[in-house]
Amino acid sequence: MATTVDRPRPAAGGEEGRRGATGWFDPRGRRMGGLAFILNRLTGIGLVLYLYLHLVILSMLARGPEAWDQFVDIALSPPFLALDVLLLTGLLIHGLNGIRVGLVGLGFVASRQRAMFIALMVVAALVAIAGALRIFSGE
Amino acid sequence: MTSDTRPVEPPPSRDEGPRSAPPFVGQVVSGAVLIVLLGLHMVAQHFIVPSGLRFYDDVIEWLSNPVMVAIEVAFLVFVTYHALVGVRAILFDFGFGKRTERLITNLLWVVGIVTVVYGVALLAAILNAA
Repeated sequence: MATTVDRPRPAAGGEEGRRGATGWFDPRGRRMGGLAFILNRLTGIGLVLYLYLHLVILSMLARGPEAWDQFVDIALSPPFLALDVLLLTGLLIHGLNGIRVGLVGLGFVASRQRAMFIALMVVAALVAIAGALRIFSGE
Repeated sequence: MTSDTRPVEPPPSRDEGPRSAPPFVGQVVSGAVLIVLLGLHMVAQHFIVPSGLRFYDDVIEWLSNPVMVAIEVAFLVFVTYHALVGVRAILFDFGFGKRTERLITNLLWVVGIVTVVYGVALLAAILNAA
């Protein structure tokens, strides 16, 4: 069983080896599986950074209502709301693509992984758009 | 159809072979749990509470429910595990030796434990300050 399903396929002539340790980040010459792998890692790195940023932000709650409500005022400004949309998009891409990676890695729907990736990314885009509308409408 | 429709076999790598299977399965299981917990987290915080759980009093009232505290702590544990196994996979692609890989794994365990302890302590501090 391929344990890291979407790891980019090595190109002819050992190109993967020449890409070096950060070669996974290079989108040139990738097929869709490789691009999905890059997308999953980039969104994953972003979400790891957000996890720790989120903990720092939540520490304001321990400083009492004034500190928190001041932060909330800033967080409701358009640039912060745009970051919320970016976060939602990253979560959708990582989560939905992760479902595909898990299913394929465990031996399910391997022959449909390309179609599944496209379908899941369309779902991600639609939900992200709906989320953005909801976030900016202030509901 | 091109070969994209076939499972992509990974190239030889230090993170291949039987010893990479437990982290992969761990990622899949923790990812599945996170989808459920994140769903609860998002629905509860952004759809059940009318204000979207923005204001201090709403947050404190929310956290005074032990079930919500349990969900948030479980979420923290699983998200930290999932995140750090992912970081480990990226770091292992640098091709370090086995000794360095063991060191990285142990360091990430420490980071994970510190993260969860910090998160739980923060939760206690928030509830105590209220």
